[in-house]
Amino acid sequence: MTRISKIFLCLTLAILAIWQLPWCYAFLNTKAAPNRFIMYSSLLNDFIITGYEEGKGFIRQDVAGNLYTEEAVDSLLPMFYMRQLVADEAFPDTLFGVAVSPLEVQRTSFNLRIRPSAVNGPETRLYFLLESMPKRVDLQMPEDAFRFTDTGIEFIIMETNSVDAAKSGRFTQVLRDKGFAFPPRKVSGNPTTMKEYDNGYLLIDANGNVFHLKQTAGQPYVKALSLPENVEARHIFLTEFRDRRLLGFLTDTRNRCFAILSDGSMTETGIPSYNPETDNFTIIGNMFDMTVRISSPDATHYYGLSADDYSLLKSYEPASESGTHIPGLSFTSPYDRHVRPRF
Amino acid sequence: MIQAIFYKEWIKLHRYVLLALAVTVAMTGYCMLRIDRAMELNGAAHIWEVMVMKDAIFIDSLEYVPLIAGILAALVQFMPEMQRKCLKLTLHLPCPQKKMLFTMSGTGALLLLLCFAANFALMLGYLGSVLPRELVCNILSAAAPWYLAGLAAYLLTSWICLEPTWKMRIFNILVAALIIRVYFLGSAPKAYNGFLPWLTLYTLALSLLSWISVVRFKAGRQD
Repeated sequence: MTRISKIFLCLTLAILAIWQLPWCYAFLNTKAAPNRFIMYSSLLNDFIITGYEEGKGFIRQDVAGNLYTEEAVDSLLPMFYMRQLVADEAFPDTLFGVAVSPLEVQRTSFNLRIRPSAVNGPETRLYFLLESMPKRVDLQMPEDAFRFTDTGIEFIIMETNSVDAAKSGRFTQVLRDKGFAFPPRKVSGNPTTMKEYDNGYLLIDANGNVFHLKQTAGQPYVKALSLPENVEARHIFLTEFRDRRLLGFLTDTRNRCFAILSDGSMTETGIPSYNPETDNFTIIGNMFDMTVRISSPDATHYYGLSADDYSLLKSYEPASESGTHIPGLSFTSPYDRHVRPRF
Repeated sequence: MIQAIFYKEWIKLHRYVLLALAVTVAMTGYCMLRIDRAMELNGAAHIWEVMVMKDAIFIDSLEYVPLIAGILAALVQFMPEMQRKCLKLTLHLPCPQKKMLFTMSGTGALLLLLCFAANFALMLGYLGSVLPRELVCNILSAAAPWYLAGLAAYLLTSWICLEPTWKMRIFNILVAALIIRVYFLGSAPKAYNGFLPWLTLYTLALSLLSWISVVRFKAGRQD
């Protein structure tokens, strides 16, 4: 017994050491990562890098190293620095032969960030379905929540914590009629009133098929979306951008990324690989182009995409600036919110 | 003999256990009352929304209550034992020493678990009536590592109290603090779900540490 107890204590001390010593080293030696902002400019057909560089101060340059003034950067990224250009009375009337106005820029610009921690859960698996055609101008949160079960969808009236059998039956029936297989593998929605309109939810059902679910005038709206050939859906993300061109993004088992257009059709984007379980995804878009930043544990990639067909215009991989990492034990991770030991 | 040891520990602990039961149940009741009042004032829908979208659990005030209850239980049980040198007498009783030590620790742990079970029963009873199972599961899963930390704190404090030298006691306190930290690394509901069975086994294994202190006590280690 004494030996077992001592072995247990030694094991505990070893675990604590490989947990705490690398943490202490990192805590004392971590240096601030260079804070750079990189955007694709269709006017330059290149990426513009802005940020502080040690010894040089604040720099504005392209990938080749050509330096630009602040005003030049504003003009090269007119969609992003629209407000500054308007204030300077330098906002152009047309770009690439297309008439542009500040209002149009506001309407068509969007940004989206998807973190692995949001994808990897844990999830509560309760959802709120807003009315997508509300009588009032503003969206309102519903009085019920819903959950998926193995056999259907269940709406629960929150005030009484009881199942609304009639509504549950109605939605279950419509989903079944459209070929939906319960329970869904993935559910993506954005249940908040802080948006201009509601797109409901995008679902990947038990068979891997993709569906769009909304509540329209109190009635279920379900649409089966056809996947491109040889695509096995893995993750799905609903978007509710102002210009309503997109319904969302989808990734497949081969980490290809597809844009889901508002009519439900899907088109492959020029992003070579995106794994939502490990990569941070940021997209900043406008009516001409999109800058996508994919930050994986090993590297960060930037992609310039065309806003017309989501094809790849240019890519850029900055030199990795990660410091020395001491391997050790950790219980938490930036990639999920679970607490468990991991090396 | 085991019954006698159990009775001896009950005599030492019963007042504290009743107090701990009253305080922890009162704290749990307060948290349930807070949820009830919030539902009354803001509506159930608002509470459901913040629980689903912001991971709110409304029992944050309970976070360190089991930990404190566990530490105090061990102090109440083992401090007099060490101060009055009663442990020496206990170890001379006609009963295997290991059996005796684990009966002592087991009694304290069992009483503490009963106290924690009352807390969980109160939470389950109230929350089950006003919230769906997903949100009840969120709250209880967030509370589970805190209560496990209470049990770990009891076993680690026993280890520290039974240690005969102050030098080692300080070392044990540092080790115990790091171990306890593991139970408070994530506040998101269900964060510990996959790890909880292993953490429970590890927590139970912490009872082995007290035996090291007793061996050192028997060896006559002194400051």
